[in-house]
Amino acid sequence: MTDTTGRTLPAADPAAVARTAVRDAKDAGGGTSTRLGTWLTLPAQLLILFVAVFPLLMQLYLSFTDWTPLSGRNWTEAYTLWAGTWNYEDVFADDRFWGALGRTLLIVVVAVPVEFLLGLGLATLFMDEFPGKRVLYSIMLVPMMIVPAVAGYMFYLLFQSDGPINGLLSAISGQDVAIRWLTDPDLAIVAVMIADIWQWTPLMFLILLAGLLGVPQDQLKAATLLGAGPWQRFRTIVLPKIKTIIVIALAIRVIEIFKIFDTLFIMTAGGPGVATETISVFFYKIMTLELAWSYVAAAGLVVLVGLSVVAGVAMAFLPKPGKRA
Amino acid sequence: MTSIHLSQIVKRFGDFTALQEMDLRIHDGEFIALLGPSGCGKSTTMNIIAGMEDPSEGRVMFGDRDVTALPMQKRGVGFVFQNYAIFTHMTVRENLAYGPRMHGAPRAEIERRVVEMADFLDLGAILDRPSAGLSVNILQRLAIGRSAIMEPAIFLLDEPLSNVDAAFRAVMRRELKSLQQRFEQTMVYVTHDQLEAMTMADRIAVMDHGVLQQVGTPLEVYNAPANLFVAQFLGAPGMNLLPGMLDGDGIVLEGGGRIALDDREVRTARRATGRDVVYGFRPEEARMGEDGVTRPVSFVERIGARTILHMEGGIKAVFENDVAVAEGRPVTLSPNPGAARIFDAGTGARLEG
Repeated sequence: MTDTTGRTLPAADPAAVARTAVRDAKDAGGGTSTRLGTWLTLPAQLLILFVAVFPLLMQLYLSFTDWTPLSGRNWTEAYTLWAGTWNYEDVFADDRFWGALGRTLLIVVVAVPVEFLLGLGLATLFMDEFPGKRVLYSIMLVPMMIVPAVAGYMFYLLFQSDGPINGLLSAISGQDVAIRWLTDPDLAIVAVMIADIWQWTPLMFLILLAGLLGVPQDQLKAATLLGAGPWQRFRTIVLPKIKTIIVIALAIRVIEIFKIFDTLFIMTAGGPGVATETISVFFYKIMTLELAWSYVAAAGLVVLVGLSVVAGVAMAFLPKPGKRA
Repeated sequence: MTSIHLSQIVKRFGDFTALQEMDLRIHDGEFIALLGPSGCGKSTTMNIIAGMEDPSEGRVMFGDRDVTALPMQKRGVGFVFQNYAIFTHMTVRENLAYGPRMHGAPRAEIERRVVEMADFLDLGAILDRPSAGLSVNILQRLAIGRSAIMEPAIFLLDEPLSNVDAAFRAVMRRELKSLQQRFEQTMVYVTHDQLEAMTMADRIAVMDHGVLQQVGTPLEVYNAPANLFVAQFLGAPGMNLLPGMLDGDGIVLEGGGRIALDDREVRTARRATGRDVVYGFRPEEARMGEDGVTRPVSFVERIGARTILHMEGGIKAVFENDVAVAEGRPVTLSPNPGAARIFDAGTGARLEG
């Protein structure tokens, strides 16, 4: 007992001890140890910087040249084919690029709101108890789990002129329906959007359900007791509480649609013509079929800058951490 | 302001009966506490008054108006939740304005009522502060103000102090009681804490296992418990209850020993249906003496102002300051004159005579 007391006595005032410790650390050259830490972590930091930034720098470099794999030179010597801003001028003048970007945006403005509203509706339904909820919940998530390429094949088969969808429409209407879903330039993009909505509404549902579950039930009850109806409760309590989650869910889906490729490529390969050619399909085709790598590098950077601006605007809507919950 | 009458309320959840034929009249302007251990049905009772749950049987009357079928938003009931349920994404002002806004009151009127309520509750200086991160006593006032601005006939409070640390509860209790007196509202207060019920309530309704055990003023339920449950539940520690057999002018205790009764107590004890009775006395109402209950001391708890003796058979005695006893040695407790309460062991009811 005395031994313990003897040892703990100097530490009678923990705050004083902490203060001393801090001062000691400073005196003993806190600056040096920080600098040493920097040196020790530098290799890892450089590696991460290299991994993250190098491809981007390489892309930027190539975008100012006229280099292709066919030019017979190593990419490091691409400066010998210096093109200045020609690629960028070409990109801005390229109708096919703008067409692909426009179609991508069209899918964004149609599919994302539909996915959002369906997801929100389903999530709201799943807030209540009903028989078979658990089974239905599992079934709901299946589309999301399917490999996009497989989903592409499924919809490719479903949308055939003599496929099940036309078969169903025939059965309902009693006439012989033979809509050319995938070969009609106007309908092909509709088919692509339907596939996207089918596959990604579950993700929206899942994210929004998580958001709704986080809304305090007591506050909803309090609002009800204060006379708020269902719509008022949604607008004044639920919506402000899940605003952040909505922005994140929408951002994820918008970015994903810019990357839409596998499902779409299997269904239509961007066709007929360029009717379903989105920005990623456009990049793929220019790069593999025309081998215009430096041009794709420039176009890719234009899209990256554009998306970054959109993301920045979206971030502005997010509440700052630490401010009101 | 209005009276409440719960008439023969039964509430079942599947096979489980949460409330059994509960009949309770709450007077106009009264502060009543529903007190009981968790699972006793006190919250269910409150939810039925609020309209958050429908009774399986029976009727809820506000004054002479039957509100059983009225949805909760139309009952005009103010509800203060356990965690206050303040809308954390709004300012204090927006919280106060919520009710009038939802009822479509004109902007100028909302503003006037909010300022009035804020002045009344001393919230004026923080009206435009975000409500997240306010201290708990301000949250309590805000929660009450948010409901009070709708001028509800009835205020329901669901254990509002259970999240408050013990040191602060005394402050909150005083504030709550003074608010109730200023609003002159009928208040129903749910709690499992007898201290809260004893200090604030005009009357206490003690509940257990979905059955209303006793309704009375704090001192009535403390001094004249209706049955074994109330006797044992109220008081800290609760009443000593010794089962025994009536034998002439005394009771032979199960754990050994015999307690002599005076003439009045004998008459009371004879009202029992059988000879089995339970002899009860409060731990505070006994002294060490020659005859009474003799049991070995199992444990002595000294907490400065009081000393609590824990004796074998679950008997406890509370003494002021210290007493010279040793653990393991037998001690004889003599209940004070008039301290004895005698219960019918068969029915559990206290015998009066």
